[in-house]
This record gives sequence, C-alpha cells and structure tokens, in this order.
Amino acid sequence: MPGQVIKVERAAKLGFLERLYLPMIAKALWVTSRHFFRNLRGFVTGRNRTDFVVQYPEERVDYPDAFRGIPVLVQLEDGQPKCVACGLCEFACPTNCIRIVSGELEGARSERTPQVFELDLSRCMFCGLCEEACPEEALVMSREVEFASYDREGLRFEKEQLLVPEKLLERRLTFLRAGYDRECEPKGGA
Amino acid sequence: MPVAEILKTLFILLVVVGGLAPLITWIERKQSAVMQDRIGANRADIGGLTLIGLFHPLADVLKLLGKEDFVPAGANRVLHLLAPLIAAIPAVIAFAVIPYGGVYRFGDHTLSLVVSDADWGMLYIFAIASLATYGTVIAGWSSNNGWSLLGSMRASAQMISYEVTMGLSLVGIFMVFQTLKLQDMALAQDTTLRVFGFLDIFFGLSHPAIDWIRLPAWGVFYQPLAFLLFLTCIMAENKRPPFDLPEGESEIIAGYHLEYSGMRFGLFFMSEFIQVVVIAGLMTALFLGGWSIPYLSTQTIVAGVGRFMGTGFATGLCVLLHFAAFMLKLGAMIWFQMALRWTLPRFRYDQVMDLCWKVILPLSIANVLVTGLVMLLVQEAA
Repeated sequence: MPGQVIKVERAAKLGFLERLYLPMIAKALWVTSRHFFRNLRGFVTGRNRTDFVVQYPEERVDYPDAFRGIPVLVQLEDGQPKCVACGLCEFACPTNCIRIVSGELEGARSERTPQVFELDLSRCMFCGLCEEACPEEALVMSREVEFASYDREGLRFEKEQLLVPEKLLERRLTFLRAGYDRECEPKGGA
Repeated sequence: MPVAEILKTLFILLVVVGGLAPLITWIERKQSAVMQDRIGANRADIGGLTLIGLFHPLADVLKLLGKEDFVPAGANRVLHLLAPLIAAIPAVIAFAVIPYGGVYRFGDHTLSLVVSDADWGMLYIFAIASLATYGTVIAGWSSNNGWSLLGSMRASAQMISYEVTMGLSLVGIFMVFQTLKLQDMALAQDTTLRVFGFLDIFFGLSHPAIDWIRLPAWGVFYQPLAFLLFLTCIMAENKRPPFDLPEGESEIIAGYHLEYSGMRFGLFFMSEFIQVVVIAGLMTALFLGGWSIPYLSTQTIVAGVGRFMGTGFATGLCVLLHFAAFMLKLGAMIWFQMALRWTLPRFRYDQVMDLCWKVILPLSIANVLVTGLVMLLVQEAA
C-alpha cells in the first residue's frame, strides 16, 4: 500500500494562540483523547477499534515483491537446481558469503552443476548483487527472513536447504523480468 | 500508637501507593497503546490467562529482581547503592499527609482518614519533594559516568528551580483556605460556591434564583491559574515527560540512572510512578475537593440517610462513598497525567528554564497579589 503524502504547511510565525501554548495543549489532548476513548469503546464492545498492529507470530505481513530476504536457489521440476555453477554470484558477493564447488553430472541439462553451494547467512547482507549477477535466473532473493539460530553453525545454509521450487518464486521472477526492459539511462539526458 | 493508626498507615502505603504504582506501569503501557491505535502489553500469561496484560508488572518485577546488581568500576560504592533508596523513600512517604477520606464521628470516637493529620502538611510535602532531588543528584554523581553527571546536573537545576515556583504557585490556595493542613482544605471544599456571590457581596444584589447557580467549592474554581501553574511545576518536579530532561534518552542516554541495573533501576522507575500517584492525590486534595462528593456534603448525607438508617450507618456509608470519590478523582488525575505525557513532546532545556523563571514565577506572584486584593475587597465589603 503506497503511503499517503501529507504536505505540512508550517507558518513562519506562530499565531497568538500558538504562542500561548495552553490552547495548543488542549487541542493536542483533544486529538489523543479522542483516539483513546474511541479505541477504549472499541475494546469494550469489540468493534470499530483502529489498530495497526500485526500480531507477529500468528499473523504475518506479506512483503512486497521487491523485498530482499534470504537468497535461494531455484529448483526445477526434476528436483535439480537451475544453477550452472558459473561462480558469478560468488564473485559478485561483497561479503564472500557464497562458496560453490562445481561438478559434472551425467545426463544433466547443463554441463556443470553445483556439488556444494554454501551460503553463510551470518555474513550475508542481503544486497542482492548475487541475484543481479546470475545469468540463469537460478538464484533469487526470497521473502524468507526467519532464520534465527542459537549458534553460527545454524546460519550456514547448504544447497539442500536453499532449494525452493520455481513455482513458489514466480512472484519474484516476474518482478525481476519486469526490470529487464527498464530504461537504464538517466532521464533528461546527461 | 493504636492499632487503628498502624492499620491505616499500612493500608495507605501498601495498598494505595504500593499497589497502585505497579499497576500504573500497566496503565501507562496500555493507555499509550490505546491512544496510539496499538494493542499494548498482552503476552504475559499464567496458564493461558492474559487478563489484558495485567501480569506484565509482575513479570517485570520478577525480571528486575533476577538481574545482576551492578556497580561500575570507579563508582562510589556506598552512595551508588544508597541513591535509589534516597530517591524512592520520599516518593512513598509523601502520601502520608494526603487525606483519602474525611473526618467522621462515631459516638465519641473521631476518625480522620489520613495517615498523618499534621498542621504542617503542605510544608512536609515541599520538604519531601526537595529531598527527592538528592537521590537523583547522588545517583548521577556517584556513578562515575559523564552522561549520568550531565543528567543529575540537569535534574538539580530543573528540580530546584521548579521547587521555588511550586511553593509560590500554591500561596493563593493557602490564602483562600487559610491553612496548610490538607485535611482542613478538603473539609473546606466539602460545600458549594455561589457563582454570582460577588454580586451579593459588592452590590447587595441577591436573588434565590441566582443563588441556586452553584459550583462545588473546589480549589480549581477558586484558583484556576494556580491549578495550571502547580500542575506544571509538580509534573516538572517529577521529571517525567514532557519534562524528562534529566533522562533525555535521545541526548544523554538515560541520565542519572544510566549505570543502574536490576531492582535498583527498578526503584528509580517505581519512584516516578509512585510520584504520579502522589501528584494525583495532591492535586485532588488541593484543587478537586479531596474526598468530597460535589453537591453532596457530609452533613447532607448524614442528615438525609441518618433519618432512616441511623447516624452510625450513614457515617459508615459516608466513609465508603468518600473513599470511592477520592479514588475516582485520583484515577482521573492519573489518567490526565498519562494523557499529557503521551501527548506532549519533550521541552528543550532552555524552554524548561524559561517556562519556570519567565512565565510561571511572574504569574504566580501576580496570582498571589490578585488573590490578596480580591480577598481584601471581599472582607471590606462584607
């Protein structure tokens, strides 16, 4: 939901009532008390209560498509990663949190495939450069953010943990493809 | 000391002040939440029962008790450990002179519902309020921390300045009620006030229809300006927002209690909340008629109900009704303080000092002069 822009007119000089300050306090108290009593009535009767709180573990916010959570590997329908182990993401990563060991796979659709794909989330800063570097749409940023762990070992994600079926990543992929045709030159000419 | 006195003291200190203060942490969290379209504390539960977050104060206290009691290196150990007590004790004992019920006569036994029915009630309040400053100053001084020291310097400047104006703003009330004893003030407010009484006094105009227009004889109607000035001063004295410069989280981290942990921090925290109760009680006793019920004086109730049920029962009923009225007014004042705290942003330091010395001080002196003049004129005319 896009935010509503409210333009605040700030008078250069305060009026007489504003300089007295007490009427302004009364006005402010009127605003807060109105909210208080409306919500209190809503609390008692159970309706017409405004609240913007998401009861987090029970309710969740649907993050926008542009949100960058854990980078994940796109999983094809045959269960194999789409990744061709080219190593570009490893190279692009500013924090060196990706480690790839490539290997061959007989009968696979590509010549190479990652034997090992390790992502150290204790170092990842969710910049999304790996996703930009990927020529195969094989590594995308997911909307997953809940990966808290009691030790650092728990933050090292292996290939199997990172594989996510392509179907579930449809929204992010569509979002990325929409960006391909975007004008990259600065507007108005340099 | 008779048993009744001890029971009275224990009741007011443990139940009203001690019981209300943890509840106020809950009130503050919940009221701010409702005010800001949020939900507020609602997670702490005992066996799945959350009681709209009422277990949170309990959980907070348990947590604070379980934490390490830390004394920083280089701190003055004795003063550092003493300061929370010096801050908390004045807050608790200030309630001693605030009446939570009237004076009742059962046969030949007289019951005055106030812990200490002393003639110097208000002077005691001023003295105790000054003592509370020491806790703050010593806490910052003994912590061996620059930010703490800054906080306590701000606190001492702010609290000492506002003590001057706090006393001066109340002089008008003392002149009107001619006493420093809070129980006597509350008794004096247990009547009504003719709104157009000045017509009678100065011009001899008197009409029964006009005499019917009456207000409760509350301090706030005698001294509306003093009400505003005193409320401002005493809220500044309590150093809660919008006057929380000694703590100023965004500027000096936490000010004077920065180096405190566990229950010692809890004591500073609680002393502010207890002071909220004390302020509410004081405002009630001075300006809102204390325990009195508007338009229904003690004599009216005793005479009216006493005719059917006997004087003893009527007096007993008065005790309950007056205590309920006091608690209602106390609650309203606590609500009002919380509403102010969550409505106004923090003042700048120079604004706080300007407000004290350039606004409240001249206004309170003017209030004393005008009150004196009016009282003189009324005495001359009468």
